[in-house]
Amino acid sequence: MKYESVYIITDSLGRRGRVPRRMSIGLATILIVCVLWLAMTTLFGIVPSGRFPSPAETWSALVHVSGRGYGGGDLTLHVYNSLRLVVMGFLFAIATGVPLGLLMGWSRKAEAFINPIFLIIRPIPPLAWIPLAILWLGLGDAAKIMVIWFSAFVPSVINTFAGVRNIDRPVLEAAYMLGMPKFRFVTEVLVPGASPMIFTGLRLSLQASWTTLVAAELVGAFYGIGRVLNVAQQDLYPGMILVGMIAVAILGWGTTRVLGMAEARALRWNTAALAAKG
Amino acid sequence: MGVIRFQNVGKIFGPRGSGFEALKDINLEIGDKEFVAIVGPSGCGKTTCLRMVAGFENATDGVVSVDGTPIKRPGPDRAVVFQQFALFPWKSVYDNIDLGLRNLNVSSSERAQRIDAILNLMNLTQYAKHFPHQLSGGMQQRVAIARAYVLDPDVLLMDEPFGALDAQTRVVMQEELVRLARKNPRTVLFITHAVEEAVYLADRVAIMTRAPGRIKEVLDVASVRNAEDWDSHEKIEDVMDLESFVHLRTHIWRSLREEKAAQHA
Ligand SMILES: Nc1ncnc2c1ncn2[C@@H]1O[C@H](COP(=O)(O)OP(=O)(O)O)[C@@H](O)[C@H]1O
Ligand SMILES: [Mg+2]
Repeated sequence: MKYESVYIITDSLGRRGRVPRRMSIGLATILIVCVLWLAMTTLFGIVPSGRFPSPAETWSALVHVSGRGYGGGDLTLHVYNSLRLVVMGFLFAIATGVPLGLLMGWSRKAEAFINPIFLIIRPIPPLAWIPLAILWLGLGDAAKIMVIWFSAFVPSVINTFAGVRNIDRPVLEAAYMLGMPKFRFVTEVLVPGASPMIFTGLRLSLQASWTTLVAAELVGAFYGIGRVLNVAQQDLYPGMILVGMIAVAILGWGTTRVLGMAEARALRWNTAALAAKG
Repeated sequence: MGVIRFQNVGKIFGPRGSGFEALKDINLEIGDKEFVAIVGPSGCGKTTCLRMVAGFENATDGVVSVDGTPIKRPGPDRAVVFQQFALFPWKSVYDNIDLGLRNLNVSSSERAQRIDAILNLMNLTQYAKHFPHQLSGGMQQRVAIARAYVLDPDVLLMDEPFGALDAQTRVVMQEELVRLARKNPRTVLFITHAVEEAVYLADRVAIMTRAPGRIKEVLDVASVRNAEDWDSHEKIEDVMDLESFVHLRTHIWRSLREEKAAQHA
């Protein structure tokens, strides 16, 4: 009986029906959470509205920030500013981090020079840089880009480095045997060889970018989702806090999705490789 | 041209004195377009010999040279076929084969022509757009051989190229390599621990002693092959049945067994 059910799940025909089923299960879960939310707040009042907003309060907060605006601007402005800073900080971090990781992975000498700096800087949580960044660069964009850079830089360097070191030795030797010019060696061997790990680093960097940005905006900002959260907290406005949280969640999910699509495109060969390894 | 010469070659891994002596006093000359196989007990230094010709390893004593020039670094004049295939998994079959030619700055029309020819020769045409991992081991090794052959190298170096293949595929690949090597002869250094493979493929077979490896004996297979007309047989099993083949094989077996016995004594 037990074996039979296991067999059916792994059956290749059964698998085909699973994707839509999984999606509908996911939607059902979200629906249940929403119903519970409605029940706990509006219907039975188990959670008082000062603690956690009801769906109606959240909706009205959303209408409020989208229409009249809140915390210095309307929702579009806040979203635009947060998104812009994350994208800039992230791109800046990976544009410096990935090449440095490649260099460290490639040259033992570079690794020996740079690693000690990492050992000192790594234990400092990225958020601890925020006060210094604001002191240096004020409440504007520059300070936020700097802290995002600090947080997103490290995972992209470390994973790129590990990715280069993970390339099979015979594959590297095959490249030497073929007499690769340096630039082509980097672009056609090192980068693609390390790319599965590079993308792991990019995903971590993106997550870190959002975390630090929101934290930095909470500490001090003129616009942005973090600013909305901060003002809503001072105003004791739970509906608006939830709107801010949901906005960050959606933005984080969306940017991760875009990165995931780029990864799927770039690593098509690797899905074949992973499938072959089983 | 492509004459490989080992002159009093020794190799010590680690510091001289306390390091591990892998090879000692290797003397061997492989003539232009000659196919030489090295057999020997595992760990005797066969791979190390090949890696020195490839330029991945330096001799600590003596000189390894090709056409009189001591080897300094790897290069496309000495193409290597690795046991683990070592294809670029992110490149298609076609692009794997193309890369070396691009590095040699061959014109694009000539590249297309040469790649098509080798794909055709190795029965790979329909797999040109596949990624390596979509192919079986035998197919991947064909790609690796094509990647080496397409360079038109002076010297081909193969380190147990069929070691990772199943017995059936192995036989097919051996027959194909013979076909390729007779049609388009190169200087080949071929390493194997399969005695039959060595006798079937090579013009001469060098037998090595256990570590520190030396050349114990070199057998001339080509003169027997020509005298007995092995190449008139198309199938490997027909050749392997010939008395002259069995005789050579048994001789090598005995010689290797002596080494193994000494190793365990
Ligand atoms: N880079 C290395 N460092 C230390 N010892 C090595 C290295 N490469 C090979 N050896 C040793 O040298 C000996 C010969 O190795 P190898 O040439 O691979 O043998 P074979 O190919 O005949 O099996 C082995 O004992 C092996 O452990
Ligand atoms: Mg070996």
